[in-house]
Amino acid sequence: MAPQDRLNDQRSGRTGGSTATLEIPVVKGPDDLLRVRDLSVSYGGHQVVTDVSFDLPRGHSLALIGESGSGKSTIARSVLRLLPAGVGRATGTIEVQGQDVLALPERHFRPLRGRTVGFVPQDPSASLNPVRTIGSQAREAAALLPGDLTKADRRRAVVDVLLRVGLDDPERVLASYPHQLSGGMLQRVLIGLAVLPQPALLVADEPTSALDVTIQKRILDLLTDLRDSLDISLLLITHDLAIAAERADSVVVLKDGRVQEAGPTAQVSGAPTSDYARRLHADVPALNPDRYAGLRDVGAARRALSEDEEPKIVVRGVSKTFTVDRKQLTAVDDLSFAVPAGTTHAIVGESGSGKTTTIRLLLGLETPDTGEIIVAGERVDGRSHAQLRAVRRHLQFVYQNPFTSLDPTWKVERLVREPLDRFKIGTKDEQREEVRRAVDAVGLDHTLLGRRPDALSGGQRQRVAIARALVLKPDVIVLDEPTSALDVSVQADIVQVLLTLQADLGLTYVFVSHDLALVRQLAHTVSVVRRGKVVEEGTVAQIFDAPREDYTRVLLDSIPDATHGRREVEPSEKAS
Amino acid sequence: MAQTRSSTTVRKPDARLTRGARRTSSPYLVYALQRVAQAVAVVLLAYCFTFLVISVLPGDPVTNTLRNPENNFTEEEIARIVAYYGLDQPVHVQLWESLSRFLTGDLGVSLRSNLPVSRLIGEIIGSTLVLAVSALVVAVVLAFGIAYGTRNLPAPLARPLRAFPSLFLSVPNFVIGLLLINIFAFQLGLFQVIDSEGPAATFFAAVALGIPVSAQIAEVLIANLDHEARQEYAGFATSRGLSRSRLFWRHLLKPSSLPVVTVVALTVGELLGGALITETIFGRTGVGSLVQRSVTTQDLPVLQAVVVLAAITFVVVNLVVDLVYPLLDPRVDLRGATKRVRPVTEGASA
Amino acid sequence: MTTITTEATEGPQAPGGWKPSALRRGRGSRRVPPLGVVASFAMLLLVVGWSLAPGLFTGQDPARGVPADAFQGPSVAHWFGTDHLGRDEFARVVHGSASSVTSALVAVAIGVLVGGLIGLVAGFIGSWVDVALSRVVDVLLAIPSFLLAVVVVSALGFETINAAIATGVSAVAVFARVMRSEVLRTRRAVFVEASLLLGGSRMHVLLRHVLPNASRSVLNLAVLQFGLSILVIAGLAFLGYGDPPPASDWGLLVSSGKDYPLAPWLVYTPALVTIATVLSANRISRWLRKTD
Repeated sequence: MAPQDRLNDQRSGRTGGSTATLEIPVVKGPDDLLRVRDLSVSYGGHQVVTDVSFDLPRGHSLALIGESGSGKSTIARSVLRLLPAGVGRATGTIEVQGQDVLALPERHFRPLRGRTVGFVPQDPSASLNPVRTIGSQAREAAALLPGDLTKADRRRAVVDVLLRVGLDDPERVLASYPHQLSGGMLQRVLIGLAVLPQPALLVADEPTSALDVTIQKRILDLLTDLRDSLDISLLLITHDLAIAAERADSVVVLKDGRVQEAGPTAQVSGAPTSDYARRLHADVPALNPDRYAGLRDVGAARRALSEDEEPKIVVRGVSKTFTVDRKQLTAVDDLSFAVPAGTTHAIVGESGSGKTTTIRLLLGLETPDTGEIIVAGERVDGRSHAQLRAVRRHLQFVYQNPFTSLDPTWKVERLVREPLDRFKIGTKDEQREEVRRAVDAVGLDHTLLGRRPDALSGGQRQRVAIARALVLKPDVIVLDEPTSALDVSVQADIVQVLLTLQADLGLTYVFVSHDLALVRQLAHTVSVVRRGKVVEEGTVAQIFDAPREDYTRVLLDSIPDATHGRREVEPSEKAS
Repeated sequence: MAQTRSSTTVRKPDARLTRGARRTSSPYLVYALQRVAQAVAVVLLAYCFTFLVISVLPGDPVTNTLRNPENNFTEEEIARIVAYYGLDQPVHVQLWESLSRFLTGDLGVSLRSNLPVSRLIGEIIGSTLVLAVSALVVAVVLAFGIAYGTRNLPAPLARPLRAFPSLFLSVPNFVIGLLLINIFAFQLGLFQVIDSEGPAATFFAAVALGIPVSAQIAEVLIANLDHEARQEYAGFATSRGLSRSRLFWRHLLKPSSLPVVTVVALTVGELLGGALITETIFGRTGVGSLVQRSVTTQDLPVLQAVVVLAAITFVVVNLVVDLVYPLLDPRVDLRGATKRVRPVTEGASA
Repeated sequence: MTTITTEATEGPQAPGGWKPSALRRGRGSRRVPPLGVVASFAMLLLVVGWSLAPGLFTGQDPARGVPADAFQGPSVAHWFGTDHLGRDEFARVVHGSASSVTSALVAVAIGVLVGGLIGLVAGFIGSWVDVALSRVVDVLLAIPSFLLAVVVVSALGFETINAAIATGVSAVAVFARVMRSEVLRTRRAVFVEASLLLGGSRMHVLLRHVLPNASRSVLNLAVLQFGLSILVIAGLAFLGYGDPPPASDWGLLVSSGKDYPLAPWLVYTPALVTIATVLSANRISRWLRKTD
């Protein structure tokens, strides 16, 4: 049976209460590998998952999606019985191959681990013991293989599975310690170890969120391929609706521990019926490339008008080389771009592409070896901290991670006021007024002014950081992946704030990101960078609709393509 | 403190850009030479520091001792000793001469017994070493026992066990000593206080000295075990079907106890300082009782020598541990402080 | 004494790096301290009360003994019994706490000020200043702290205040280390770079960002060190390096009590008071570390 046909007689989960929206009545079928019924989980009296039910037939894949705090990982951990000892309490039933996992005593559940239920964790760099070689940990996994196998047999099985997951040199991998491999390779090792005992069900908890986009795609391809070839069912936990839409047969949307909507992927992602799923759908950049078209057009119009004006930012022939262990490492190589006033220029690249160094050069935190950087008519490069003070009034910065960029001992009001204090602008009353105005502009409530960052959510913190950047009324704001640490709905709010500000105040943005779908939503011009070099540059339309370079195409290809339902892996795409 | 230590000893700028982590001999050699040079500097500075504390602080105990009629020094002897110690010279000259003698291995002469300090210390150092080493063994065994219990015993037993290190740290070590003597010597008669160097008495003295030290080791070990157990790899190993005890032995123990090696080395000072009190309580003759006697009689050369020897012991033990540690723990990359380095490209699998 | 600073890691844990977001929100626990912490605060308050106004807690004169009452076990009249001269042991403990507590505070103050300054300067200025100061700290760390305290006190003279100074000197290294590493950590923090980008001067960053953040760990180390200093000072008093009798430092009380094995309460009562005080300080320090 082809997966698509299967989809039809599959009974997926029911929604929260009794509002089941599925066409197929719930009947217990022999095909059900995993049946979850009325699962509720609480931590020390605090309920985080409420009455969740769903089924996963053999050979299918099901995605649990939700934002942080939705309980999706808790459900995955419940299936694996990896809840925090002592505080985590799960009720309801979780049946794996007809056995109720929650009712089993530990010693009867343990044989199921690995052999029946495999697990692929989230962060590959932390998921292997750092002081033991991968070989010794693989031997441990091989011990789970059934039957009377010799040492050599088990070793061969390990080598085979590593080859199977696309690691070309298994011997080298086995002799390595985890820190000697890259994230993508480690994730392949983890998947290999998980499928080695040939489990019937594989639980993958955000298996790609710690990886670069192009590697992300390869890992997802691998999982899809293994599911098909080894007949493994996949329970995929993700925050990314686009990934779920692309990879899963059916989807369960969660919020605050309750099922919001469940059903076949095409239905949930194509025509969501619940409010939450609809909103989530609208917030995912990959699914809504033109969401902010109206706001963006303001900038585009400005760009057309200012064609002959001097660009706000000019970067010309900039290179920067670091010396590490007597080796030269070129972080940025002959980089040039220009940003017209009032527009957004995106710098897109994966890790190691020189994005971070570019930002630091732009802000005057590093000095380029060659080339020049001009912001609002003033040179940035080659100037001292004191000389840069004048430039910095026009040039502000928002960090990637709002959890580290705000001093935890300061209150919001003081944080936002800091730039005014430093530049000695205005009287106390005027400052208070400015702070209130900046806070209003980013849509923060005034009651939060007396709080410390610890008492704020991630989105609120990032708004504080933007307000702090705004309070000096700068012309240019450099944004370093300002939403990558945030949930997708929060990201949508922040992007809305940024674009509204740009339309109202004519701000110029340099927006650094690895997320092409997001860039497409908000930028006017794009530079694609790789290993410190600009691979391709142009307007958003040029880059996204008619890419000229292979690398750009690879990047674009890694945007999850949700429009066609589940992706079938073509033979050529399979891991080599 | 283990954390602070590794961050100060394995320090290199901008580790983010370091590629790979294979250890070659040359960064290790550089590191080793740096560490050895540091150690030598610390010992020399420790000598100067002690000398200055003893001689600059108010009072001139040497002359006082010499002039004390009870000590029966003749004027001639006094002149000889004053000249020997250079007491008529300014302090920096005295320091220089004292330091030069130290570098040739001459620890000076006791003011009280007129014997070479090296001989005085040589006679009794064995007893203190036996005590300190046994105490260390007791401490390590006890600490690992407690840590094992907190992870592998059922919760009603494991929970109170977690309070033990804190309790051990709060009891003055002289109280532990007195308690042990009271129970095991006076009540149970397991050892005689008079036979203070016998094996039974030594054992209990080692327990008294080792208990506070074990608390420090156990605290770090428990914290490390908890930390490692929270790492994703422990969950991944559990998901592959490992039992609790196999997880402990095969996965958690090694990464948790490796950093403990440096903590054990740091407790050397504690052992030597604590020996002062333990030896007094158990009536043992050792370096501790020698220090006590020298303090009462203001026998400065002996004090100076003991302090410097203690510092040397501490420095050498810690030097050895720091030199061996990078070879034991694959996480330590001497070319950069970061433990997990992600190469710029995905590499072979791409 | 060597202190060990590790993360307090009690509490719920899953096997694996994952922690449910419901448990991830910190801070909440600071509002309602656990019972043990409340009891610890009560114990320390009691001891401070003893040292400020001993007369309020005991009507007996610690120096005047009734020979007829010698060696009485603990009773309602004499909570902690009486000693060989018939003096009330409870009164002696209460009156002795002033000097034990004050000297521990003096020791901590020296450690915090001198060590904190060394650590701050070394961590913030860096380069050769850091190298030089780090070696000085290494020296202080290399000399066993109790031995160092003995040498310093014997150079200064056998008095309790000198014992306190000596204890403080031996604690300098620990404070310097913690302060230095905290400063280094904070200095690399993103929000510090942010402040520089917003136009802050180095001095501004040091005083307004680095110091407040670094002092958090130093505060809880100070509480911990208060307990440890009580132990060190008791040890020095036990060896007779503090004020001589009739002073009644806790260590001295244990020391004189040990000569009368038939009156064990003379050892156990001051010892228990010491243990309870130190344990309380440890508990509070642990709690501070956890809620930070």
